[in-house]
Amino acid sequence: MIKIKGLWWKALGAIIFLYVLIGGMTVPLNSGITYTNPSNAKTGQRIVMEVTGYNTHFKSALQNRAWLKADSSHFIQATSVQQNDEMHVLLHFDLPFTMPSKEKVQPLTLIIDNEIDGAFVQPNALFVTVSDSLQNDLSQWQTLQLGSLNKKSGLTFPYRNILNETIRNTFFHVALWFAMFILLIIGLYHAIQYLRTGIYDHDIQSATINKVAIMYGVFGLITGSIWAKFTWNTFWTTDVKLNMTAVAMLIYLAYLVLRGASTDTDRRAKLSASYSIFAFLALIPLVFVIPRLTDSLHPGNGGNPALGGEDLDNTLRLFFYPSIIALVLLGMWMSQLKIRYERLQEKIFQNQK
Amino acid sequence: MKDYKKKFSKTKNKLFMFKLSQIISFVSLCCMMILINTQAACQGSSIDFLRSTGKIYTVVIVIAVIFIGIVIYLYRLDHKLTKLENQIKNEQ
Repeated sequence: MIKIKGLWWKALGAIIFLYVLIGGMTVPLNSGITYTNPSNAKTGQRIVMEVTGYNTHFKSALQNRAWLKADSSHFIQATSVQQNDEMHVLLHFDLPFTMPSKEKVQPLTLIIDNEIDGAFVQPNALFVTVSDSLQNDLSQWQTLQLGSLNKKSGLTFPYRNILNETIRNTFFHVALWFAMFILLIIGLYHAIQYLRTGIYDHDIQSATINKVAIMYGVFGLITGSIWAKFTWNTFWTTDVKLNMTAVAMLIYLAYLVLRGASTDTDRRAKLSASYSIFAFLALIPLVFVIPRLTDSLHPGNGGNPALGGEDLDNTLRLFFYPSIIALVLLGMWMSQLKIRYERLQEKIFQNQK
Repeated sequence: MKDYKKKFSKTKNKLFMFKLSQIISFVSLCCMMILINTQAACQGSSIDFLRSTGKIYTVVIVIAVIFIGIVIYLYRLDHKLTKLENQIKNEQ
């Protein structure tokens, strides 16, 4: 390992983490729709839809427009939009008698657009039951494209329905796991170096960096559990990624036990170095392969796109990647302190002999 | 006799600091559990504290957990270093 003297990388880690903290907490969320009423209607009805927005500016906006969308070429525009305040709006729709598809119940997507908040959608906002009617007339549907929709100006994070503001946890919970993985790779490098060269210092570095990585893993489990409580409504699910990660963490806890069990430093170093290689090799299939083979609530599993689309768009990336770098640097800083302590202790031990 | 007294007060001080660290971590853990559990208890109500304002307080708790964890790590390292310093001092 290259010995980086000086303080600059520690300061860099702290500054980047500060940037992530401030930016990650202050950048606003996109506008979204939290509540619509009614959620059911019949064809041919005239309905008044009550909508509650999140981060919206209905009252200050000059022109609020709303549509119900059946598919990419069938829309109905609201006949009138009545804004009570910034967050609440009443939309009047005349539902057509016929639906573009033959299904009995048709879900419609609500689209609202104004010049301050841009366009935002609520999928499946209204379920329309098709009542028996002889008419087969699609002329009430707007078949043209929506024309120019507004775009919200400035930096915003995507609004996701259940996640809401907790999408910011991407910078902390998800980045912790990535940082843990990078630290484990550094620890693995030192373990291999120890086995190759037999220099005891590599064992100190490997063990300490691994310990900080395991600490990150425990933080990841706790923070993930808290996040799950307020999005999936339970501290622990039977989600395969959770269980496999728990197994991986137990393998690494066994590493700590192994290190604590032996007092013979030479034997301990050899055993733990080879064990950490096996533990790392077990971690890859447990965390990256098995969850992808089955369904999981985590993104990137069961055929979901891995960390892409709305779950990690370019504005989130602005803070997500720096957060990983910062957590790795801070982790290296913490382990460097411990490494210096261990070296001192080793020196005292050698002197006593 | 004086030396003995000094040593005694030192160990007492150390014990106190150790107890203090345990108490701090325990209290912060308790606060967090109470906060989370009250959410679970009042699930019937439409909006509770951690789910209010777009669940922003969940993010705050996540950051707090990471921060407290790092502080506990640093505290324990501090404790170990103090021990080592004393050991070196005694040898000299």
